[in-house]
Amino acid sequence: MGKGGIYLETKDPIIRFAVVQKILDLARANSLWPMTFGLACCAIEMMSTAMARFDIDRFGAGIFRATPRQSDLMIVSGTVTKKMAPTLVTLYEQMPSPKWVIAMGNCAISGGPFVFEGQYNLIEGVDLLVPVDVYIPGCPPRPEGLLEGLMKLEEKITGTRRFPIPEKKW
Amino acid sequence: MCELTYIIGIIGKETVRAIIGLVGVLVLVVVNALILTWAERKVAGHMQRRIAAKEVGPFGLIQPIADSLKLLGKELITPTNVERPLFYLAPTLIFIPVLVSFVVIPFDSYLQVKDINVGILVILAFSSLSVLSILIAGWGSNNKYSLIGSIRSVAQNIAYEIPLILSLLPIIFIANSLSLRDIVEAQNGLWFVIYQPFAFLIFFIASVAETNRTPFDLPEAESELVAGFHTEYTGMRFALFFLAEYTNIFIVCAIATTFFLGGYQGPILPGIVWFFIKTYFLVFVILWMRWTFPRVRFDKLLNFSWKVLIPVALVNLIVTGGILKL
Amino acid sequence: MVKKTLEEIKNNLKDVDVSETSYAERGYHIAIDAKKDNLVSVVEFFDGRKLYLADMCCVDYVEYLELVYIFKSYEALCRIKVTLKIEPDKPSAPTISHIYTIAHWYEREIHEFFGVYFEGHNKLIYLFLHDGIDHYPLRKNLTPVTQEDKVLLNSFKPEEEEDAFFINLGPQHPSTHGVLRVVLKMNGEYIVSADPVLGYLHRMHEKMAENRTYQQFLPNPARMDYPGALFFNLAHVAAVEKLCGIEAPERAQYIRVITCELNRIASHLLWIGAFLADLGGLTPFLYAFDDRENILDILETATGSRLTYCYFRFGGLYNDIDDNFIEMTKKFVKRMYGRLGMYEKLITKNVIFINRAKGIGILENDVVVHKYGCTGPIMRSTGMPYDIRKVEPYAVYNKIDFDVPTGTTGDNMDRYMIRMKEMEISLHIVEEAMKGLPSGPFNAEKIPKKLKPPKGDIYHAVESTRGETGVYIVSDESDKPYRMKWRVPSYSNLMIFPALAQGTLLADAIATMGTFDLVIPEIDR
Repeated sequence: MGKGGIYLETKDPIIRFAVVQKILDLARANSLWPMTFGLACCAIEMMSTAMARFDIDRFGAGIFRATPRQSDLMIVSGTVTKKMAPTLVTLYEQMPSPKWVIAMGNCAISGGPFVFEGQYNLIEGVDLLVPVDVYIPGCPPRPEGLLEGLMKLEEKITGTRRFPIPEKKW
Repeated sequence: MCELTYIIGIIGKETVRAIIGLVGVLVLVVVNALILTWAERKVAGHMQRRIAAKEVGPFGLIQPIADSLKLLGKELITPTNVERPLFYLAPTLIFIPVLVSFVVIPFDSYLQVKDINVGILVILAFSSLSVLSILIAGWGSNNKYSLIGSIRSVAQNIAYEIPLILSLLPIIFIANSLSLRDIVEAQNGLWFVIYQPFAFLIFFIASVAETNRTPFDLPEAESELVAGFHTEYTGMRFALFFLAEYTNIFIVCAIATTFFLGGYQGPILPGIVWFFIKTYFLVFVILWMRWTFPRVRFDKLLNFSWKVLIPVALVNLIVTGGILKL
Repeated sequence: MVKKTLEEIKNNLKDVDVSETSYAERGYHIAIDAKKDNLVSVVEFFDGRKLYLADMCCVDYVEYLELVYIFKSYEALCRIKVTLKIEPDKPSAPTISHIYTIAHWYEREIHEFFGVYFEGHNKLIYLFLHDGIDHYPLRKNLTPVTQEDKVLLNSFKPEEEEDAFFINLGPQHPSTHGVLRVVLKMNGEYIVSADPVLGYLHRMHEKMAENRTYQQFLPNPARMDYPGALFFNLAHVAAVEKLCGIEAPERAQYIRVITCELNRIASHLLWIGAFLADLGGLTPFLYAFDDRENILDILETATGSRLTYCYFRFGGLYNDIDDNFIEMTKKFVKRMYGRLGMYEKLITKNVIFINRAKGIGILENDVVVHKYGCTGPIMRSTGMPYDIRKVEPYAVYNKIDFDVPTGTTGDNMDRYMIRMKEMEISLHIVEEAMKGLPSGPFNAEKIPKKLKPPKGDIYHAVESTRGETGVYIVSDESDKPYRMKWRVPSYSNLMIFPALAQGTLLADAIATMGTFDLVIPEIDR
């Protein structure tokens, strides 16, 4: 269980390698390689995060691999339509485990601004297709939002947060 | 202590030296890959006006260790329709020539695993094996993009091997020997780069093409073919390709240092320090080129080799031979 | 020009219903009501006069369907609307795809959205939709897809051809094209044919427009073209203002021009980065984004968002700009002039880049281009200085003096140079506009809360970063539009790619597609 009460839903494994598991988790959290899966407007903000001002490479997550076989993280940034859904699921299944998914933007969380009565082409949220670890709201979320989502994912993997939020003094 | 001498007496001095040398080479390969992974990201970052790899340890020095631990812990996926023997063989095969080439490189006047008298032939012969492994990786992956990537890589490697060899031949003429130690010793007075600037340039360009680095990295062109010949490899197998590429860069720079820049010779500091300074300077130039230039189109790349580099290298060779004869 | 065209139509096409309309209210000069048997001759007449097909859409008035064709001339301001009424049950119309090549795709789209069968069209297969949508989405009443239509729509199976090597470019791209899938038939490294498959980001904007009021629809156009969001916003707002007869005050018009031109620079910077990343040079991407972040900072002080702006409102703006904005813009303009020189040295003089761009992707002159309706930098690279800001000025472009850069040969290098020059010209426009910025209100008075435009239709076009962006709105006096059709520039620009890519190397085709500056969400709407 991590700080802030994050319960990991898996059952405890029978054989545990305490120190090795901790080291591996730290290594995985500090070297998350995303896959280039920008679908729509949020993709531009994802690219901005990888650029000089916000620099996601500082945290080790800077190598964007084009092939799913060599990436750990799928940042679904943009709207998922019914035509795109089989492709997304195929790409998710091609990724080797351990793998994580970040749903970035309102469209990936629950359909976003495109949900209306009589809609015929939208998957309302990518968690109807693949299991999602972190949700980042916004339309589009700021690059700082994506970095905070990355911190949240690292906290989920290792149990401790990289830049601890100071306690409120008021 | 006397048990040790007893064991050495049985096995033989040469074998012990070989074992120590090979262990040292393996350590060097791994350390070099770690350093180059870090250096690539740092150089890229500073050229792009950002600081890369800062949070993971001081100056990001723990980053390559985190990367390698992560790659060790990844699932190894074998897609269904691959040709299994070829698929499994390719990452191992790409690593062997790299290790063998380290055996003959003189790091210092007494630090060479084995001074074979046809040293450069060993290196050139084994580096052709890496072409074979790229072809096997591309064919065995049963994937269109890997196939195209590996075909391009094979054509490129074959085309650029000839100027590579042709640019080394004048040096061999001048030094009158194929052994790497003799070539370094022959540069006691003046480094060969001053005698043979064209040969140095041709060798450098050809070696960048041999190692599939930008501007010649069409086999891995990301925007066209998803990742080239290693699209289907996951985890540790991909790490081996990665490792082999970085070690290849080190080896070609080491050969360039040995042949043109005087090897381990230099004032004051010990020889091995000079060797590493010169080699890593050339490595830095190769990394620098990656982040500056766009890619050359494939047919222009082949044209450049066959129509420009080979004639220039031949002319250089003939002129050198002529001057030496007179 | 309009009178002359009217005369020629009356002389050459005898039995056609022609009338002149008020341009200020409708956005087009001449309205022609054609019948099924004389539609082809009308279209051939316009083809002979080198008019281009700007838009083709279908409107479902429940008793009949109406096909609307909008033609425009490259030379002078003359826009002509041709309508054709067809019956609602089993609708069919003659095809014009043998005359105007772009109509091939417009007709496919109308077929899958409305069920109109075009006689003579050889490939009425799915373009945006897919198997699983069992009704025609944009019809007012629920009309299921007939069985024979399903068979017709589904007859695209590229992989079943023997002895052919197919490569899919996308829909997951390592580069920034977005979700575009192009099925390439290859012969070694040479491309035999290229077939774009669209619809992976079809977000139903046009259906949403019919379900939302005019005010509720305001955020949507920005999501269509996110690098140049303010232009789509402007097209929507200006069209509705024209329809209702609202006039935005002078200050608002100037601010609209300033922000739009800043957005144009931002979009071109994004394009430079993406184009060079396609070619393999990864560093200019970061330099361009660095400059772009400066623009985003400026625009954020006024609009509040970084990417998908919704700044213009009917009758003016959402928020006024303050002195901080003006200071930052002045500083930025001064800095950017120097940065453009840096890009010149880094990219334009690079030998490898010149090799990849010069002489590649040559677009023939306007003989071919008018059949596709290409606009924007692609059109200008063939030598024709067609810019809507000059031909049909909106906002305050008629008060600012600027030139329109053109190219000579139509290759990739020309398109690149045109965009670089356009950035410089935009900086110049921003400077001029800031000099002439008047004080005053930024919103017109008395805008009704529920906007109910009078009955009629309107077509309004602006020059966005990729070409001519137009919106065709049909209003029936309620507060929701009856039909809103967007004419997007990337649609016609993309369709010239299969013709250009034939017989070229894969690397060249990708470089050419990079210069087209396609944004897929605006194609898929």
